[in-house]
Amino acid sequence: MNDAERIKNIRRTALIVGAVALAFYIGFIMIGVLRS
Amino acid sequence: MSTTVADLHDHHEDHGPAKGIGRWLFSTNHKDIGTMYLVFSLTMFFIGGVMAMVIRSELAIPGLQFVHPEFFNSMTTMHALIMVFGAVMPAFVGLANWMIPLMIGAPDMALPRMNNWSFWILPVAFSILLSTLFMPGGAPASGWTMYPPLVLQTGNAFPFLIFSVHLMGISSIMGAINVIVTIINMRAPDMTLLKMPMFVWTWLITAYLLIAVMPVLAGAVTMLLTDQFFGTSFFLAAGGGDPVMFQHIFWFFGHPEVYIMILPAFGVISEIIPTFSRKKLFGHDSMVYAASSIAFLSFIVWAHHMFTVGMPLTGQMFFMFATMLIAVPTGVKVFNWVATMWRGAMTFETPMLFSLAFVFLFTIGGFSGLMLAAAPADIQYHDTYFVVAHFHYVLVPGSIFAIMAGVYYWLPKWTGHMYDEKLGKLHFWTSTIFVNLAFFPMHFLGLAGMPRRIPDYSTQFTDFNTIASIGALGFGLSQLIFVLVLFRALKGAKATDRVWEGAHGLEWTLPSPAPYHTWETPPKARIAGEAFE
Repeated sequence: MNDAERIKNIRRTALIVGAVALAFYIGFIMIGVLRS
Repeated sequence: MSTTVADLHDHHEDHGPAKGIGRWLFSTNHKDIGTMYLVFSLTMFFIGGVMAMVIRSELAIPGLQFVHPEFFNSMTTMHALIMVFGAVMPAFVGLANWMIPLMIGAPDMALPRMNNWSFWILPVAFSILLSTLFMPGGAPASGWTMYPPLVLQTGNAFPFLIFSVHLMGISSIMGAINVIVTIINMRAPDMTLLKMPMFVWTWLITAYLLIAVMPVLAGAVTMLLTDQFFGTSFFLAAGGGDPVMFQHIFWFFGHPEVYIMILPAFGVISEIIPTFSRKKLFGHDSMVYAASSIAFLSFIVWAHHMFTVGMPLTGQMFFMFATMLIAVPTGVKVFNWVATMWRGAMTFETPMLFSLAFVFLFTIGGFSGLMLAAAPADIQYHDTYFVVAHFHYVLVPGSIFAIMAGVYYWLPKWTGHMYDEKLGKLHFWTSTIFVNLAFFPMHFLGLAGMPRRIPDYSTQFTDFNTIASIGALGFGLSQLIFVLVLFRALKGAKATDRVWEGAHGLEWTLPSPAPYHTWETPPKARIAGEAFE
């Protein structure tokens, strides 16, 4: 794997994992909103 | 922020560390950042330890001796927050920073600038948290669980508590992203996932847990903030909200958090026991599956913290049996450690001693956990010192002993010098004796009905409390030996590259101390395979 490809993979993985974290944050606040 | 290690790769391979404070402030080097995490963790360990001394001094005899009850409550709250988020978690992140790139043959963490941010957010977060001790109304005193409506009675400290918890969460999430991205993308050629060392595996699983649950805590405290300042009623019964919902959300974070603090400990122990038994780890793959099962189960057991709150019988049954199920993969792990030692050529250097104590004493914490998992019995145990005994057995001779074991094990690789084995063993024996003296009597206190989080108690609880206080003081003082060991290890006898005769893995093929830049050329496939063979 060359450096350019590795950088692309690193950024893609980071974005996916970051998006999952954000989804949990917003998701649980939405649970609060829907329940109250 | 999105700069990756591959971007920086061309620029740093021909120079050493920067000079002065700039080396630490702006460092993107995984070893420097790992060192900073570990030093920060040790500092927090002593600050949290001093708070524990205040607690145990007050409880040494019945009556109110030294502090006001409000301040006592602040001490229990701050002790927990500091030990969980400031001592144990950063220590494991420090070990991850130091060791994961060395173990998988990567030149650094994948996102080195984010790594710098992850660390430097922490001192800011804890400065904010500690500053609340000097605020009108005092530091937070509602327990680390921050249950509403009690937590909403916190004085000026409240928004600072919420802000610092958010910062801790952001730091952990960024650290977890870095660990996942590094392990997924930067392993040496031929190091397939199942060839990874157990420490790397347990950290990968831990990082996924962090990604899933730290945002949940952040969401919960965000809702607390809006309830207090923006007129919402997420958790306020008067406005149609539900305080019990906070407990569900908190423990959805809180129970996996327990495993966040113990899975990397399993990884450390799984590295050390094979080395000092001079055998391969028994059942490497089953260890991976066991750790993954524990992580999965940790998401479906949260309400066992809430049996006394009230829930349908079917709910109690589900959470009771799901919790008990965790004993199965945990048993697999303990069995595999014992099987690794079976007929091994064992020696008992300090890291191995701490690891053996971990296996015995963590198991005691596991057994008391099973007792607490039984819903009918928990009605009796809940909110007593039995719970305090349980989680301190899991976290002190569990997580903290594993951290100590890991530090002793890898210290020669970090400093290039051996630590003083006699002092190390003295540290081990004093810690082990006093930790049991401190926490074992708490089981009896809890079973006899002594509630937790109180500054005073009935006189029938005096003897065991006095013993526990002596044990806590002895354990605290024993840690000064650890500091002495660390300082002396900066000079001591020169360490060999492999350091330990039975050690296997990529990190031991590097010189001691590990050079500032390592694996700039990935290790050859044959060498990478050695991590497992």
